[in-house]
Amino acid sequence: MPASASAHRPEDLISRLSVSAADGGANLKALRELKNQIIGNRTKKLSYIKLGAVPSIVSILASASASADVEAADALLLQSAAAIGSFACGFDAGVKAVIDAGAVPHLLSLISHPNDKVVDAGSRSLKMIYQSKLAPKYDFLQEKNVTFLLSLLNTENENVTGLGASIITHSCETCIEQKALSDAGVLKRLICLLGGSLCQRYASLESLATIIKGNPEVVSKYLGPESGKALTAVTELTNDRCPRTRLLACMCMIVMRNTSPCYLQDVGTKTKLVLILLELLDDPSQVGDEAAFALSSLIAENEELQKLAFEANAVDKLCNHLRKGPLQAKRIQGILLALADLCSKLESCRSRLLSLQVLNMVTDALSHDSANVRAAACICLKSVTRSVKNLSAGSFMKEVIVIPLVQLLHDTSTSVQVAAIGAISNIVVDFTTHKSLFIQCGGVKQLVQLSKSMESTVRVNAVWALRNLTFLIDNRCKRGIFLELTASALTSLISDPEPSVQKQALALVRNLVDGCIDSVDYVMSEDGHILHAIGWQLQTASKPEVLIQGMYVLSNVASGNEFHKEAVMHQILLQSVIIKHLQNNDSRLRTAAVWALVNLTFPGSPGSHGRVIKLRNAGITSQLKNMVNDPCLDVKLRVRAALGQIMTFGDGST
Amino acid sequence: ATSKKVITREEWEKKLTDVKIGKEDTNKLVMNFLVTEGYVDAAEKFRMESGTDPDIDIATITNRMAVKRAVQSGNVEDAIEKVNDLNPEILDTNPQLFFHLQQQRLIELIRNGKVEKALEFAQEELAPRGEENQSFLVELERTVALLAFEDVSNCPVGELLNISQRLKTASEVNAAILTSQSHEKDPKLPSLLKMLIWAQNQLDEKAAYPRIGDLSTAMLEDPAV
Repeated sequence: MPASASAHRPEDLISRLSVSAADGGANLKALRELKNQIIGNRTKKLSYIKLGAVPSIVSILASASASADVEAADALLLQSAAAIGSFACGFDAGVKAVIDAGAVPHLLSLISHPNDKVVDAGSRSLKMIYQSKLAPKYDFLQEKNVTFLLSLLNTENENVTGLGASIITHSCETCIEQKALSDAGVLKRLICLLGGSLCQRYASLESLATIIKGNPEVVSKYLGPESGKALTAVTELTNDRCPRTRLLACMCMIVMRNTSPCYLQDVGTKTKLVLILLELLDDPSQVGDEAAFALSSLIAENEELQKLAFEANAVDKLCNHLRKGPLQAKRIQGILLALADLCSKLESCRSRLLSLQVLNMVTDALSHDSANVRAAACICLKSVTRSVKNLSAGSFMKEVIVIPLVQLLHDTSTSVQVAAIGAISNIVVDFTTHKSLFIQCGGVKQLVQLSKSMESTVRVNAVWALRNLTFLIDNRCKRGIFLELTASALTSLISDPEPSVQKQALALVRNLVDGCIDSVDYVMSEDGHILHAIGWQLQTASKPEVLIQGMYVLSNVASGNEFHKEAVMHQILLQSVIIKHLQNNDSRLRTAAVWALVNLTFPGSPGSHGRVIKLRNAGITSQLKNMVNDPCLDVKLRVRAALGQIMTFGDGST
Repeated sequence: ATSKKVITREEWEKKLTDVKIGKEDTNKLVMNFLVTEGYVDAAEKFRMESGTDPDIDIATITNRMAVKRAVQSGNVEDAIEKVNDLNPEILDTNPQLFFHLQQQRLIELIRNGKVEKALEFAQEELAPRGEENQSFLVELERTVALLAFEDVSNCPVGELLNISQRLKTASEVNAAILTSQSHEKDPKLPSLLKMLIWAQNQLDEKAAYPRIGDLSTAMLEDPAV
């Protein structure tokens, strides 16, 4: 019965589409044949789109109703709508082609067609379009649009209600839209649909989550305990037979909880959610992939939930799934991100993960084809490497981890680079001073390169990693880093337009000058440009974090030799900047400022007497006297220490 | 002598009579079974004779059964066309099912000795699916391996040529169609029987009583004394 494939070459089929309907239904046959070729077959969809099939099909859709023969007309409508829907199914190029060819209005008109099958076909195809990011934006603020939407949701036809729900799920974004929809009774209808058929249940769960997401007002008004059984209905659906329904019900509850944490406080419910999601991981379909992401959204930033998950053996379960390779990219990404969230705050989770010997799988994922997986692996490593115990033992400063991470520093994707820097930032805090391994792998070169990036996120993170690297590093390596970075680059970073970069750059300098006296010379190189830049920031910056770091650098420099101390004096006296900082509301800044003065007035230094006189003349001594009872203990103690030192040079009265 | 409580047949049968089960419930179970398994004529007759409402439109059962029969007799292309007429979303959103149907097509081509066509088909239709999903690639390789053997029925992948492979695919399609129609893909009756067996196993630990040993006859067996 089936003729061989060559008799139905795409070009032939397309030409037969344009044949008029009167020609013995030849175009109907061609249409049906085309539809059957493309369903499930992405490659064929693409080739037909390139051959221009879509506009031909849309014109059949548009003109079919004109035919006198109702049966023939309906058949053409059915097949063309189905073909269009298939092009749009999960395939962005198809959605674009279909929208560009003007299919949407024609499909919309099918919804009120007398033939149920035509209505089904039209609504299914529209649903496919609305599931894509490329779908036209639906304006919920126009009353007639909301009325139309409600009419869709109020029908008995599953496909039509599914379309209504789909439009909401993919177009509703702002709080205003959410409010408009809930006020118009859409939320109420969706809650009713929770008791409908299987398809209606999960369409409604998705839309429900979209309308309440991030909108506590809507949640309390329509889903609170006074509003009847809505929350109960969703909770019950977490026990539904269908895995997809269970997943969507969980996701709905998670959205509710993240929007209004006062709901779902009960530990029992939270534990149940965790357990259901962990069990859903076993599902081989997309449901299993999504379950991992849902788990992340449940436990992210929430130590209590992470603990609950840990007690439910989440780490073991997730690691077992990792072992089950080969896995699809999306699933690996989800599992790695969930592990990253689990290990983000709890040492118990990190230890468990490391004891299960899966770290090698995480590092393998660093070279995965998918950028998302690579980034997820880095994020997971960043969480795991927060383990101080293991950092002190030098567990992470190994070639098998460092080399792939350094390679990712020149990954094509920015998000991968940033994620890699994040992991590196932790690893280089290594306390066993094996940092030279990182340098040997070319890490410093890469980080310095990235510190010059156009993107501020990349710059900040790169400088942060360098800062961590230079922390307590040996002198030889320190010299190497400084030479690679160069004084002028460091000066630029200190004066970077982004305050976050300034802060990290200053902290980096602080680490550079820390240690022996020779280190202090780093800021004096090339006519002391670096010191000037720091001084300038102290005069002009407004963010306390920047000022504090800057002040501590000066403080460290002031613990150097006479030359260093005089240079600092010069900087702090400019524009009486030191007084401004001594009077700042932030006690951390006041502390840092006083430390500088403590170092400058150190009795053992030959030039201290001269400096004390200058300070007195600049009114700084009086300022200090006003701070003798500063509310912050740190400040108070340093002030008294400074004044004590100053007094040893006489009380200055003449 | 055991410490288990003994319940005689007399006592047991009295307890059984005390449990009330509605005729309507029984009828619904039977209808559910007929409808889910796809016995259209039987369902229709049962509807007429008992007045029980089927929970699906019987017309859709006919369509579903046509698809199942097509797969079972090896007419996979026909089955695909029918499924697409029923609901084009099913194969478009179910890559695994679609792959298995295409795989079955390949198997049928190989079975009929159409080697060249089989290779062309594998190359054009199945290889791209394998590129989209690694696990499909493994299945594809197994299927194509059939062509490498002289004596197909005795080769390692020979089971692919069995009728059981067709039945497996047919069952998969059946389940997908049922799900798309918001109907549960498994009939309730087998679950009830499983529940019975489980309950009996639980009770076995505590008592000796007349059990049902043979599910097909549901005869009570006297307890061991």
